[in-house]
Amino acid sequence: MSSADAPRIVLEGVGRTYGEGRAGAVRALDTIDLEIPPGQLLSVEGPSGCGKTTLLNLLGLIDTPTRGELRWNGTPIGHLGERERTRLRLSGVGFIFQRFYLLPTLTARENVELPMRAARVSPGDRHQRTSQLLESVGLSERADAYPHQLSGGEEQRVAVARALANRPGLLLADEPTGELDSANTEAILQLLIRSRAESGATLVLVTHNPNVSARADRHIRMRDGLVVGDGGGR
Amino acid sequence: MNRARPPALRHHRLQAILTIAAIATSVSLPVVLLSVGGGVSEHEIEQLQNAGYEIVVSASGIHGVNQAHTLAISIDRIASVAAASPVLSVAVDAFAASGGPQPVLVEGVLPASFTATEGPTERALFPAPLPLGDGSDSVHYAQGSYAGAATWSVLVSSPFLASSGEHVGSSLVLSPTADRTAGVRFNITGVFGVPPTSLGPTAAFGMVVPLSDLQLLVGLAAASASGAPPLDAADTVQVALAGGAAGDPAQIARVASAIQGLVPFYGVSSLTDQVDHVRAASSVLTGFYLALSSVALTVGLIFLALVLVRRVESQRRSIGVARAIGVPGRLIAGGIVRAGLMLSAIGAGLGVVGGIALVLILQRFGGPAVELAAGLAVFDPRTLLGLTLGVVALSLAASAIATRYALRLSIPEALR
Ligand SMILES: Nc1ncnc2c1ncn2[C@@H]1O[C@H](COP(=O)(O)OP(=O)(O)OP(=O)(O)O)[C@@H](O)[C@H]1O
Ligand SMILES: [Mg+2]
Repeated sequence: MSSADAPRIVLEGVGRTYGEGRAGAVRALDTIDLEIPPGQLLSVEGPSGCGKTTLLNLLGLIDTPTRGELRWNGTPIGHLGERERTRLRLSGVGFIFQRFYLLPTLTARENVELPMRAARVSPGDRHQRTSQLLESVGLSERADAYPHQLSGGEEQRVAVARALANRPGLLLADEPTGELDSANTEAILQLLIRSRAESGATLVLVTHNPNVSARADRHIRMRDGLVVGDGGGR
Repeated sequence: MNRARPPALRHHRLQAILTIAAIATSVSLPVVLLSVGGGVSEHEIEQLQNAGYEIVVSASGIHGVNQAHTLAISIDRIASVAAASPVLSVAVDAFAASGGPQPVLVEGVLPASFTATEGPTERALFPAPLPLGDGSDSVHYAQGSYAGAATWSVLVSSPFLASSGEHVGSSLVLSPTADRTAGVRFNITGVFGVPPTSLGPTAAFGMVVPLSDLQLLVGLAAASASGAPPLDAADTVQVALAGGAAGDPAQIARVASAIQGLVPFYGVSSLTDQVDHVRAASSVLTGFYLALSSVALTVGLIFLALVLVRRVESQRRSIGVARAIGVPGRLIAGGIVRAGLMLSAIGAGLGVVGGIALVLILQRFGGPAVELAAGLAVFDPRTLLGLTLGVVALSLAASAIATRYALRLSIPEALR
């Protein structure tokens, strides 16, 4: 299983302000200087509203910084056009959300196939890879179920399979176990860690769960839009 | 494996049904207007073109065209004129052996001239020659004196004959008033049919009698007391041209102006002019129908745009997720356009079918006048196809509005 090479990610003075120019401007991210080497498992912690999701949105190219520059392997990509960023997201980034966010009108299989369909993977390859992914998350039997017919743990496993579909070099998980019980939390965590190990992808994980962050190579701690702590495993 | 539809799709189905109903309704209006409107004017034009005469002299007023017999003879003398047929239409009361007065429209004609100006439809319905005795109506008319013997013959339309209980060979009294004693007894000497639709002129009357008999009956004929010309009225004179001239607008115009020279104060119009007038009126109406229809269609498409935008709104989250994953905008747009095309195509199809069904229903249950008009409806496949394609094409505009909205959603906001 070959992966898109994980990029070396560098943030130089990156900031994000909402509602800029108006009275009530919110500095969601103040000034972030950060370097994430390829293949790292990075956990991001911090109180609610400190800017964790904002940081992940910038890393995943679904939002653009209002200050500073974001580089992948030295190339500035923070301000690319929408089309270019869409292309990079499709091939290079896998998202896992707290509330799963499967498309409700698609079956588990169709959800996993979606990124491959968008990337114009041939139907044969698509089908094969989807079956593989569903098997690896233990859901071969549930392939034709719709999200409303799945449990939360099952939904999140489908979401992980979907994030892995195009073998992205960067996996971004925003509190992926926030809505799961401890058994499911453990299962999803194992799955993410195993997938990262197999693919060599970088994994950035936002979590409040100390058991989760305990598995990370590196922890960053945020407050008020700033990185206030950065260190190795505890 | 359970393949129950997800709730989101069930929710969409209701929206889809309502949208399709709205588009179908907005499409059925032009289908009804254009097919019935077009059919009625087509029928009028057909009637004019099948008239069997090309020029009509007409004058309004109580006496109408005065000196009708003499005028017909003068018109006959103009080159290329095959026949000139004065016609007087008067409502009188008919008294059959049983029953009271029955109002009926009677046409007075010169039998031979009438036959010479029949169109194909009438030729099939009337006996030839008309069994009204004096073919030229000259004996009774007697050069303006009305002193000759009247035939007192009447041709009766088959429905009238059937409802009156009379038969060919019996007689009935025709009276200018509801007073039977003021009337004259006519012999039923023949019967004529009526065309399948009764919007034409032929079916409007129930009886045909010699012109001079009718004039005398209703007091529009009288010998002149003072040596002035006698009263000898008709409503119109229908003029048929001979052979090639009948199809030649220049010849028709020449004859019409020659007739106008004879009767400077009467209206002289050629049926080709009338066809042009009907066409012009019909195209004005068609334009009006199209304007009305485009209002309906616009409302239908605004509804479609609204539903598509609404759908984008309800799928905000999903669209945000799809875009976060890297699904390109064109795929998302494609989904919206496909939905728009499908809804509008089904809606337009059902609208066409529904419009046709509505016309068919009107033909059976619309009340007399509506049933007649609906019966003339012409469903032009090109018009219907054009309408359908137009609606489907316009649905792209509705889809474009929704697509634009979908692609402008902020992804982080849609995901929150
Ligand atoms: N679109 C927006 N407009 C205005 N303010 C925003 C917007 N998005 C986020 N914010 C603000 O930016 C700050 C950071 O938000 P963010 O979602 O990154 O926090 P977070 O660390 O992920 O919080 P949580 O742990 O609750 O998810 C918050 O104060 C939030 O209110
Ligand atoms: Mg958050």
